[in-house]
Amino acid sequence: MLPRQPAKLLHLHFSEEDRYDNVPLHEAIAKTCLDLGIAGMTVFRGLEGYGESAALHRRRVLARDQPIVVTIVESPENIDKLMARIGKMLGAGITAISDVETIRIQNGAIQK
Amino acid sequence: MLSRGAAKKVTIYVNEDTRRHMDTLWSAILRFLRHKRVAGATALRPIAGFGSHEVIHSPGEEVRGEHMPVRIEFIESAEKVDELLPTLYEMVEDGLIEVQDTHMVKAAVKGRNPVPHTPHAEIKGPAKMIRIFLGEADRLNGEPLFEAIVKRLMMMEVAGATVYRGILGYGAKRHTHKEARFRISSDLPIVISVVDTSSRTEEILDAVASMLQDGLIVISEVEAHRFTHSLPTQEVINAPAPAS
Repeated sequence: MLPRQPAKLLHLHFSEEDRYDNVPLHEAIAKTCLDLGIAGMTVFRGLEGYGESAALHRRRVLARDQPIVVTIVESPENIDKLMARIGKMLGAGITAISDVETIRIQNGAIQK
Repeated sequence: MLSRGAAKKVTIYVNEDTRRHMDTLWSAILRFLRHKRVAGATALRPIAGFGSHEVIHSPGEEVRGEHMPVRIEFIESAEKVDELLPTLYEMVEDGLIEVQDTHMVKAAVKGRNPVPHTPHAEIKGPAKMIRIFLGEADRLNGEPLFEAIVKRLMMMEVAGATVYRGILGYGAKRHTHKEARFRISSDLPIVISVVDTSSRTEEILDAVASMLQDGLIVISEVEAHRFTHSLPTQEVINAPAPAS
């Protein structure tokens, strides 16, 4: 069995239209993650979706308002640290955290 | 129809001009194999050869080129081969029969009538979701790594895999992958998500970990509620196609 580390998987759901300090919210979150030394993060764009405002988020002719999902895998301490910083940046949206196990591979070697 | 896994490969060497009843031996063997519904058989003519008579048979040596060697090959399950061997043993009076163990990787039939679907079956139970994080530009032996992983998983008959492309992200190498507005960027983050029963997790992880150079594998517990067409049984596959 390959060695695994326990970790937390964080999912943030919001809209592509959401902004923070005049930059798209997902870019602001990416910058915060880099500042805090979070190991990695990935932003996905969904095709269509709806959330708290009950309005359908989808691509329009001139504007992009599709759903955004941010995925971050980190240790519980770092997730707490990150949530303390980005909690106030998130407006409407949903945050989900789940327990996972991770295998990290760097330069072909499994990190212990 | 052959299924994946252990199988037997039978090779028979005879002379082209050996006769059996009113026909040549090699075509009698082929007709016998077809009559027995063997999945497939091939008769090959080598360019030269010699046998127990220690005479080299080649087109140059034979005036009319008719005493050439012929090789017949087929692959079948061990039970089927056991059933066929006594008759083949009796038929080949001058020649050689060889059986070797082999491993069937794929036996696909193109254009055959689709197997009728059986009603949906529900497979429920504990399962694992495996998410594999990598970069779109990662390659393995010259092909995109995410494609190589999906192909490998397909060959392992893993229940399913989905590839997602992110629009922004960074990982172990700390360089940011970002989507450009007017350019088709080709180094975006990729996540492959795979769900299969817990019993197959280790096998999947070993295969994926051996292919990744830099990346992250995340494993989480899920409950599978899977609706599938139940797999066709061997009888359904073997049933002759309905007359049209």
